[in-house]
Amino acid sequence: MATSKKTMTLNLTDAEMSALEELCEKKDLSKTAVLRQALRLYQAVEVRAERGDKFFFEDEKTKEKAEVVML
Amino acid sequence: MSEFQIYLLEVASDAPIEGSLIEGITEANVNDWEDAWMPALARALQQLKEKGVDRRLWPQSRHWDWRRKAEAFKGLLAAPSFSIVCQGMTQGLMIVETLESCRLLQQKGKPLVYIQYLETAPWNRPGLTTERPRLTGVGTLLVRAAIELSRSEGFGGRIGLHSLPQANAWYANVCGMSDLGIDPTKENLRYFEMTPEQADAFIAKGV
Repeated sequence: MATSKKTMTLNLTDAEMSALEELCEKKDLSKTAVLRQALRLYQAVEVRAERGDKFFFEDEKTKEKAEVVML
Repeated sequence: MSEFQIYLLEVASDAPIEGSLIEGITEANVNDWEDAWMPALARALQQLKEKGVDRRLWPQSRHWDWRRKAEAFKGLLAAPSFSIVCQGMTQGLMIVETLESCRLLQQKGKPLVYIQYLETAPWNRPGLTTERPRLTGVGTLLVRAAIELSRSEGFGGRIGLHSLPQANAWYANVCGMSDLGIDPTKENLRYFEMTPEQADAFIAKGV
């Protein structure tokens, strides 16, 4: 599954880098892999939002829903 | 769009036949589904009807609309698709998703490649018609492609899927996946998951 890739430099604050490192640890992924996952998620949400769909978090127990507003 | 050389086994001649595993589902693949798969499936269903086979035993994927599916997932980074072409004809199609997380306790929360849809051409499915399958290995190669994608994404070969009832035994026994039981949130289909170790074992089998 080797697809050609482009390289970029990313500037992050300490807090952002810390969050990224936490996600890497939690998900057992490299920094690149976490950021690629984030991009996929952002694109998927954007596509659904453009179709008119809404994005919710649902509490598993209470079934209470909270809409996530995308900027 | 990447393309990889693969080999399928032609049942009639017992000989390997060269084909291609292609990243993506193209208009040509969807045309094959409409022009060749659908008529073949209709003939097979007619045979099942004439033989009085219980409809519950008919292929549950018979209502799948690959044109609609391909369009719905087109361009989504989180939903790569694959096709297998051999002898000038689409032999298998698959759409996966990369934003799902593992459920199996030992790898819970870690990312996996989730197989959303996987289907082989009607003439390759054992037991669907009275004729022998034409080519074998299509489903296996698509599962292998999902594992390789999982590895290249850093997911370690972890994959997951909800199986249609007729494929439960294949995912459990041939693929060696863990059966997490019926999922009431997904049409009561059984959920299967593969660990990195199971992925290694699957690939080592060389199926």
